[in-house]
Amino acid sequence: MTQDVEMKEQPAPSNSVPSSSPSTLHHLKEIASLIETGAYDREARRILRAIRLTMALRRKLKASVLSVFLSFALTPGSEAFTRLSSYLPKEDENEMEVDTATSTAQPPAKHSLPELEIYCYLLVLIFLIDQKKYDEAKACSSASISRLKNLNRRTLDVLAARLYFYYSLCYELTGTLSEIRSNLLALHRIATLRHDELGQETLLNLLLRNYLHYNLYDQAEKLRSKAPRFEAHSNQQFCRYLFYLGKIRTIQLEYTDAKECLLQAARKAPVAALGFRVQCNKWAIIVRLLLGEIPERTVFMQKGMEKALRPYFELTNAVRIGDLELFRSVAEKFSTTFSSDRTHNLIVRLRHNVIRTGLRNISISYSRIALADVGKKLRLDSVADAESIVAKAIRDGAIDATLDHSNGCMLSKETGDIYSTTEPQTAFNSRIAFCLNMHNEAVRALRFPPNSHKEKESAEKRRERQQQEQELAKHIAEEDDDEF
Amino acid sequence: MDPQLTEVSQMFERFKAAFIRKDFDSCANLLSQLKVLLTKFRSLPPLFENTPNAVNELLLAREIYEHAVVLSVKIEDQDAFERDFFQLKPYYTDAGSRLPPSQQEYLILGLNLLRLLVQNRIAEFHTELELLSATALENPCIKHAVELEQSFMEGAYNRVLSARQNAPHETYVYFMDLLAKTVRDEIAGCSEKAYDYLSINDARQMLLFSSDQELLEYIKEEHPDWEVKNGSVYFQKAKDSAPCKEIPSLQLINQTLSYARELERIV
Repeated sequence: MTQDVEMKEQPAPSNSVPSSSPSTLHHLKEIASLIETGAYDREARRILRAIRLTMALRRKLKASVLSVFLSFALTPGSEAFTRLSSYLPKEDENEMEVDTATSTAQPPAKHSLPELEIYCYLLVLIFLIDQKKYDEAKACSSASISRLKNLNRRTLDVLAARLYFYYSLCYELTGTLSEIRSNLLALHRIATLRHDELGQETLLNLLLRNYLHYNLYDQAEKLRSKAPRFEAHSNQQFCRYLFYLGKIRTIQLEYTDAKECLLQAARKAPVAALGFRVQCNKWAIIVRLLLGEIPERTVFMQKGMEKALRPYFELTNAVRIGDLELFRSVAEKFSTTFSSDRTHNLIVRLRHNVIRTGLRNISISYSRIALADVGKKLRLDSVADAESIVAKAIRDGAIDATLDHSNGCMLSKETGDIYSTTEPQTAFNSRIAFCLNMHNEAVRALRFPPNSHKEKESAEKRRERQQQEQELAKHIAEEDDDEF
Repeated sequence: MDPQLTEVSQMFERFKAAFIRKDFDSCANLLSQLKVLLTKFRSLPPLFENTPNAVNELLLAREIYEHAVVLSVKIEDQDAFERDFFQLKPYYTDAGSRLPPSQQEYLILGLNLLRLLVQNRIAEFHTELELLSATALENPCIKHAVELEQSFMEGAYNRVLSARQNAPHETYVYFMDLLAKTVRDEIAGCSEKAYDYLSINDARQMLLFSSDQELLEYIKEEHPDWEVKNGSVYFQKAKDSAPCKEIPSLQLINQTLSYARELERIV
């Protein structure tokens, strides 16, 4: 793989470097200055924007551009610089000369902010992952994490959260996720002590992912229920959290909760995260089937998902008809897909729902039917089986009927008018609650630029106000001093 | 050989001898001494230190705990089973890569699944199930437990009961007997809802009693609301207490008020 990448890079210097490299470098420098101002003003929002801009540049990153940027951002000869440069692959000679020529023309960086240093780590790490150099990426991420542990600055939180994510990703890609579990736990502890909520959020998700990777649902749930919870900071992390929670709830048979989590995760996820949304939908479909609901056809026809959801579509069809034979053949036909999705055990659970749906269909169509016929229709082994299965379905409220043992038949009761019950009312209520909740969340998500309402005040008034504020600040400072 | 290790293995030999003699009292006695001795090994969980004797010690400890689990089934102590099983589990999961696989592993995991089923802890049952690989699921011991759970959830109770005959190991019989009791309660619960009445004869067969006397005693103790007359059992009484329809006024008021409050906030 590495060879393949290098092959592609060899012819590049001749024509593409002069055109693309300066612009990428230019963007990187802009981002660096953004981070600097963010660090001085203590505004995490700017750093967040820097990261977002970096992601747009991700595809254009090259080893040569990176090495120039490193020498721009970091003090040459510093520990971080030498370490990071060693991860970058060596380019051929003449290109290096061009680069050094441009970089010496730059004024040497006089200072090296920790934010900038960590950003360089992040940049190199992303580059290494994109180049599929996972072993170097692993080394680089571990180095960055040990550096991060010694830094305690709130402006770093955003960058740190990203680094944690890629740290875990490297280990996942090399299949050694279990190695870093205790390390992640330690980081989570540190983040909690430093009140780094974004870091906590990210690390909790990474830990959950780590546990679920090995199907350790018990540990995952124990950690989740004990970890501190707060308002979500990042939508993406919240989506992930919901997805993991949904998975845990599904395994623990709490289907109603699971459905809510999974559907919400699928809805909140950004449109670009297709793979994530497909996963959410797969699980959500199974959970809805387990709840006895039949997902609408539109669920399977979502853009870009038709193919991935095909096995689940056929499965749904089998459950909808209530045909055990069809269900079995579908489960067998797609058994490789289901076991790679790790939904196989859930599908085994579904068998019981297939029988229930079949039974419900029978109970709607017949007012009186012999148990032997029920057994035959549902393809059950014996009449005794059929009788006890029907009895259980009655007790669980799946069908409304009575059994006549001496005649060996099932008598369905008249289905009552649903509008005479409170059913429509509760359905209506849940929809209203959903809309109101959506409105409230939208209001809460609104962001106002700071001081926008004071824009109209004149320069003079502003000066006056600032003076007042300064005096007030001085007063407060004095009072503080008095207290000690 | 390490003197500590020799001491433990000698005592374990005595334990095994007593185990074969079925002298369970002295077994339990020796076991508690063994457990105390095991705490001195630093290679065992939770420390997992890599001492020179680590593999031997882990193997010995694993075997001791495997015997402890089986012993707890023999003396019919479910709490001890749970404790010993949790002590044993790290040897399969965390130390699994360093040790040769145990022949007892699937037998014991299957037993644990069965225990969870008997105690009606279905959520934990499925959590444990997720930890098993595809090959483990093919193992007869595990398969037995998985199929039992399925039949149990479906309501095919006679399949659960007939599974007792083809239990994969003698230790399974204890839990199967317990399961039979659970199944009887389930059947009673289902019959109550599904039938208007049953003749005493049918009820006896369905609830797996050998004599009418036992059935009548069971009804008296567990379901005093059932009525026995004219040679039949009537469940009617239990059904009469169906909830009468009532306007859920308090809930309605609450909902309406919350709508008003939310609307106020919007406008």
